Amino acid sequence: MKKPQLKTALLSLSALLFAGSALAADPAFPKAPAGKVTLEVWSWVPGLDKTVAAFEKAYPNIDVKVTNLGGGPQTYTKLLTTLKAGTGAPDVAQVEYGFVPSFVDTGGLADLSTLGANNYKKYFVPWTWGQVSPDGKAVFAIPQDTGPFAMVYRDDVLKKYGIAAPKTWAEYEKAAATMYTKSGGKVKMGNFYATFAPWFMALAWADGGQFFKRDGDSWVQTLNNPSAKKVLNYWYGMIKKGHVGTIQAFTADYWNAAGAGQVASNFEAAWGPGGYAGSMKDKGAGLWRAANIPQWTASNTVKSGNWGGSSSVVTAQSKNKQAALLFSLWLNLSETAISQNWTNGGLFPASDAGLDFAILKDKTKNPSKFFGGQDISSVYATASRGVNVNFQWAPWFPFANDNFNKQMDLMLKGKLTPNQALDAWQRETLAEAKKQGYTAR
Amino acid sequence: MVVSRPYLPRTPAVKPSRGTPWLFLSPFLVLFTLFYIAPVMYAGYLSLFIKKRAGFGAAKEVFGGMANYVRAFQDTEFLSSLLNILKFGVVQIPIMMLVATALALVLDAAKNRLQGVFRTAFYLPYTIPSVIAGLLWGYLYSKNLSPFNQIVTALGGGRVDFLGSDIVLWSIANIVTWTWTGYNMITLYAALQNIPTDLYEAARIDGASPWQLTRDIKLPLLKPSLLLVLIFSIIGTMQVFAEPFVLRPLGYVPDNITPNTYLYLVASRDGNFSYAATLAILLAIFTFLMSAVFLRFTRRGGEL
Amino acid sequence: MVRKEKFTPLQILALTLFAIYALLPLWWVIVTIFKDNGQLFSTFGLWFGNKSYLSENLNTLFTRQDGIFTRWAVNSIVYAGTTALGSVVVSAMAGYAFSAYEFKGKDALFGLILATIMVPSTALVLPLFLMMQKMGLLNTYWAVILPGLVNPFGLYLMRLFWDAGFPKDLMEAARIDGAGEWTIFQRLGLPLVRGGLVTVGLFAFVAAWNNFFLPLVAVSREDLFPLTLGLSVWNQTSSSSGQEPIYTVIVLGSLISILPLVLAFLTLGRYWQGGLANGAVKG
Repeated sequence: MKKPQLKTALLSLSALLFAGSALAADPAFPKAPAGKVTLEVWSWVPGLDKTVAAFEKAYPNIDVKVTNLGGGPQTYTKLLTTLKAGTGAPDVAQVEYGFVPSFVDTGGLADLSTLGANNYKKYFVPWTWGQVSPDGKAVFAIPQDTGPFAMVYRDDVLKKYGIAAPKTWAEYEKAAATMYTKSGGKVKMGNFYATFAPWFMALAWADGGQFFKRDGDSWVQTLNNPSAKKVLNYWYGMIKKGHVGTIQAFTADYWNAAGAGQVASNFEAAWGPGGYAGSMKDKGAGLWRAANIPQWTASNTVKSGNWGGSSSVVTAQSKNKQAALLFSLWLNLSETAISQNWTNGGLFPASDAGLDFAILKDKTKNPSKFFGGQDISSVYATASRGVNVNFQWAPWFPFANDNFNKQMDLMLKGKLTPNQALDAWQRETLAEAKKQGYTAR
Repeated sequence: MVVSRPYLPRTPAVKPSRGTPWLFLSPFLVLFTLFYIAPVMYAGYLSLFIKKRAGFGAAKEVFGGMANYVRAFQDTEFLSSLLNILKFGVVQIPIMMLVATALALVLDAAKNRLQGVFRTAFYLPYTIPSVIAGLLWGYLYSKNLSPFNQIVTALGGGRVDFLGSDIVLWSIANIVTWTWTGYNMITLYAALQNIPTDLYEAARIDGASPWQLTRDIKLPLLKPSLLLVLIFSIIGTMQVFAEPFVLRPLGYVPDNITPNTYLYLVASRDGNFSYAATLAILLAIFTFLMSAVFLRFTRRGGEL
Repeated sequence: MVRKEKFTPLQILALTLFAIYALLPLWWVIVTIFKDNGQLFSTFGLWFGNKSYLSENLNTLFTRQDGIFTRWAVNSIVYAGTTALGSVVVSAMAGYAFSAYEFKGKDALFGLILATIMVPSTALVLPLFLMMQKMGLLNTYWAVILPGLVNPFGLYLMRLFWDAGFPKDLMEAARIDGAGEWTIFQRLGLPLVRGGLVTVGLFAFVAAWNNFFLPLVAVSREDLFPLTLGLSVWNQTSSSSGQEPIYTVIVLGSLISILPLVLAFLTLGRYWQGGLANGAVKG
């Protein structure tokens, strides 16, 4: 136990000492523009002000002002307004991958390929670049953090019911049935998040499911793709039998049930374990473990999906795009920034080198500590490298995201079969895309 | 100070010049024009545009005439949101007004220390900002942890899913009732307190029972206040937004649970500001018509 | 006297039941500020946990982001205080114009002003944003204060107060005495509608204090946030992704943020209630 502690201590010390200056691991960043520059940044990453201080130290002529407008919707509302108004937008803003295309289509984002962003493609985990550069040419954002999928489970609960961590979905289904019978329905093997489309999509993503695709000048939308149908039917079968629950994610009910050991496993993105540790505190601390998500056919290669994660966009309104790009690259590739973003905000890096940084493996700190000191980041690193590269989003994804909840609600009430629910999701979302003026089929 | 001029002959009062009222109005009107009229006019202008796309990239806004208005009347999501809010209003407003009136009458029946305590208690929910109300009710509505459900299950009943899509409209109605009943009650209570006591005395000499007193004196005198509360409740109901919005992260709350949430999503989620502006204008017209109908209706009732 | 000294038991019962309804959620607030996040999710919501985390919560609240909560509180006081004062002046003057004078288009103008409250503000983000941008108001204190000064509801109430509390013949008499129009308004009129001024001021104060939408549109710098926006940002950050949730700290912050409102109503409530009745009865 001593050794890694000392190592991380040394590491954070060196991070402090070298804060700002490029570490050996850092790629060569573009040159900073001459003269005094001020950048406005909108982001909800906690503790970003401290990370920014290190940046300003390394680039004294760049002054960065960070504003946290709240995660997700609140920031997007404001960003959309400023882009639409043609004024008032920040230089850099944090945007989740699924929402990038909707902002691209306002015409308000800068194409960073003209500034040489493609030179940095090689430093990122391959699938993340596909998220910000759908056609492989134009680049609309720099990947920041990711949410590759892994299975988290209560080791003690599984052992109690004599279940080994499942490696295939068939094993998982069997485990759910066993758990149900042996516990008299009190403990559920898993939980279906019915109001988080990206959670469901990540499971289909792992199976190679494609939901949106650009095709020349139009779009192809396949929300009811075969993988989606397979995954949903699989889960619906377990839901109907009561073998898995349907508690809402991030609610008091969920944390209470999970803390009490009534939810034996779940599928969470890399940023999930931090939330588990913070929300359950001492309930079940040290009892959780992480493993690769089950596969449809037993195999040694891990295929995974992604839920969430975000990127840094540079707006077309920015008067200092070069500096904004420099900041975005530094924020997401430098060891200083990646380390701090992980420590302060639980951001799992999109940087390929970042996946192996020692600070991610610190067993004395959460989330690893909450997971019994397991090096969960290497589980997630494996997952990240196994995420399907060609996954795309459409500009109307925000609508699809909400419409999913409606269809799942109808399905859980028994008014739609899983296939009907997905067909309705496809139909209603496509109609909306057309209303928004898109050529889509 | 007014300087009196006793030695001057009394002249008829100088009529104020025609501009005087406008001088008094000017600060209000300037700000009103800038921050109310201009945005509303701009919204009206926006509502005439539609999006046109060719391939990728930004959509062009082109003049569409009444196209957005036509779309609104065919938009089943919007129309059902109006239906939702109508259902909501028909149930919630009468309940809230009934409770507020009853409480005001009870509170008015006696005069002692308790009164102040109750008044403050009833009023407190109004001061809670919607962010915290969301956290609060989110907890009280959670299926397994809700104290209400814990009591119900202890009594052998089944759990209620307050955030389930069939019930959530009424869970929202409860939050609105909780926030505004006390506020409205105080308005009504204050009106009751202002009724001159000699009116009561006269009635008492005539041998009126407390119930007759309430029916024949208090309620008729309360009518203008009730009307005020009613009209503002109608306007408030048509714009219900914060309550459903804070519950959204906790479960499935339909996009079109109220017209205001729907048009907000159209603007800030789907980026269609011009269609949202159209919906806002239609909603305002609808609210105006409802209020006007009620005013007409109650005025006539009063005369009969 | 018609009003008795005591309530009947039945009346007490009715009042108590409603008081429980009104206060039960607030009891949850009180209990919650003593908990940490783990307890919030694992202990009974309407009773205390076995250990108090109040001091930790207070500490987090006032030290998070270099103590920005205090800054937000100061901003809220500035926004709400200035808005309330300014709104009283503006509404009193305009209400006076509508009550004391006859002029062309008076009814139409009054109708127009009242009709605007029926337009939901959710659709006005973009227009309002553009407006403020053109005037160079974005990210200034004025952006949050100026729009709050016009309050159609405040004007409506103020007009009722003038109608009820300021006799026209008094005005005529003062004119005969040679008093100017401003003098009549200020020296003679204002003291007669004191209740109205407090009422409108309080309404404007609460509205400005709890306003969320306007600051969201108008400012994008954290040091200009009011409490509502700041707490909402914390709340969103707390519930999104894998960050340490701080719900109980936010609840504590919210409780502190409503204290000034409670205080204002306890001290000024007397005027307010009397004033409102004047307006409402004559309405």
